[in-house]
Amino acid sequence: MFDKIIIETHSLTKIYKTGKIEFKALNNVSLKIKEGDFIALMGPSGSGKTTLMNIIGCIDRPTSGEIFLEGQNLSTLPESQLAEIRSKKIGFVFQTFNLIPNISALKNITLSMIFAEVPRSSRETIALELLKNLGLEKFTKNLPSELSGGQQQRVALGRALVNNPSIILADEPTGNLDSSTGIQILNLLSSINKEGKTIILVTHDASLKKYANRIITMKDGEISEHR
Amino acid sequence: MITDIFLMSLDALRSHKVRTFLTLMGIIIGISSVIIVTTAGNSVSYFVQEQWDIFDPTAILVGVGTASDPPRITFTESVFTNNDVKKIQDLPHIKNVAPVGIVPIRKVSIKEGFLKWNSAPGGTMYASTSDMLDILNLEISEGRIFQEGKNEIVITEATKELFGKDQLLKIGDVVYIQRIDKKNLRAKIVGIIKESSEGNILTQLTTPSILGPTDPYYTTFIGSNVGGPLNRITAYIVLYATATDKTNVDKAKAEILDYLNSGKSDASKYKKEKYDFVLITQQYIVERIDSVMGVINMLVTIIALISLAVGAIGIANIMFATVTERTREIGTMMAIGAKRRFILQMFLYQSTIIGLIGAILGCVLGASGSAFIVQVLNTYLKDIGGTAFTGIINLNFSIEWFGIAVFFGVLAGIAAGVLPARKAAKMDPVVALRYS
Repeated sequence: MFDKIIIETHSLTKIYKTGKIEFKALNNVSLKIKEGDFIALMGPSGSGKTTLMNIIGCIDRPTSGEIFLEGQNLSTLPESQLAEIRSKKIGFVFQTFNLIPNISALKNITLSMIFAEVPRSSRETIALELLKNLGLEKFTKNLPSELSGGQQQRVALGRALVNNPSIILADEPTGNLDSSTGIQILNLLSSINKEGKTIILVTHDASLKKYANRIITMKDGEISEHR
Repeated sequence: MITDIFLMSLDALRSHKVRTFLTLMGIIIGISSVIIVTTAGNSVSYFVQEQWDIFDPTAILVGVGTASDPPRITFTESVFTNNDVKKIQDLPHIKNVAPVGIVPIRKVSIKEGFLKWNSAPGGTMYASTSDMLDILNLEISEGRIFQEGKNEIVITEATKELFGKDQLLKIGDVVYIQRIDKKNLRAKIVGIIKESSEGNILTQLTTPSILGPTDPYYTTFIGSNVGGPLNRITAYIVLYATATDKTNVDKAKAEILDYLNSGKSDASKYKKEKYDFVLITQQYIVERIDSVMGVINMLVTIIALISLAVGAIGIANIMFATVTERTREIGTMMAIGAKRRFILQMFLYQSTIIGLIGAILGCVLGASGSAFIVQVLNTYLKDIGGTAFTGIINLNFSIEWFGIAVFFGVLAGIAAGVLPARKAAKMDPVVALRYS
């Protein structure tokens, strides 16, 4: 099971153009990620780690090269199918939590299920169960602004998990949290990983390396270190 | 899915109550002003028509003047003779015809005891034939109508109080009418005119206080006095006629015109070249009122559409601001699987909901506003109309306007939402997520 390749890229290159200036965010990146991996994607800012994550997360497309997700070539898929993959196979967790501010914790989670076309009748039950597992059963009706940073990030984690995706993409998930809360979140990610989900953790905090089974370090759009 | 997007849009609107309310106001004001003006306008126009309907719809006013559109009667030319009146009466579709001789009165006097006189300024006096009563829709409540060639008059109820409430005039009394030419004419009151039970402004205006026969009270002549009284012919400025039936008004009008222009009529001999015979019918007046109301309604509709457009621009403005403000949320939603169509619909529904709610509230406000205005108008009309005024303006809602208002409100909402919603849906999620 652990040998199944879930993500595979071939010479991924991403060039951003601002006016006449070209910026190579990714340069010839080829890598394979196995199902169940916990990857720490590291490197200084501007090294291309977020770009790589965005391409894996189907919200960006490479300028050249190919990317396969569970054997499916993403480079050729139309927009609407990419959206479907995002809703069913990928869970995003952001540094700034990015919860929808005007709706409750519960609704933030059911929102994800709307996109995955989960029938309305079962949404609330699933979301409540999930919030309970995350220790948030008392805060289901609260707006994000009424929750602490750690609670918000747990709601965001719930939102990422609710459609049972195979990959969790976490971009600096502890960047806005104090260290003890950050540890809670990473422990949660660890336990999610133990349930078989592939996790890609983008960070430049070296202390988080210990949670990962693989560390990929990037520099200037290229993979500089891989172990 | 659509229900979900709809509920999401409602959530977004609910979380910005003040903003939503202010945006709604634009549409509410637009829609309610259309409703108020059309409803109040409709009600007034119905009221005016009703008032005219009490006046005989078969009535035709015959005069000379300019037969343009609108026709103008010059109330200075005395051309119609008694012979013309008789001939017109014999036309097939004419029910009644009566000359109108306006007798200018200086004062009315009564003898009060031995050698003692009491006088009062007189009201309006028409000299005509007994047919005048029919034409003006008046009835004799006491006594009888005057006889031609006799010094007899009929007066209105109100005129009974000419010399005060303690000295009411009654049938059999004799008064002396002094005309503007200082000629005093004896007049015996033989009848009282009943004022219309449906008292209204128009009969008030058209009902003379004194009505008498043309002979001896009316003496406007054509030609000069030179050559003796035989060359003098009594002539009138205008004639009142009625058609046999509402549907025959046009026929009656054509017959009168044919006769007058034929050369057989006296009027054609006395009329000056530069003038035409002019016939104004009741129906024409109603049509005129209608067309004036139509123009007013059209102008108001244009103004209303402009205010609706301003409201729509308000929505668009707010929607653009909302889209920009929610850029990161849009990026997040896309990242967690929202299709572009979902984002598009979400913002489009928001503006459509604003349009719809605005239109509905606008209808409610418009309906109550027009009810209020009609009430104010009624109070005002009572003040100017006094006791004689009993007609009221009835609120005249046209239900289809509510449908049209809602349609246009929704349309404005959609139109205002299209560009902001497209802007949102076209966002690049990577860029949107980086937005702060």
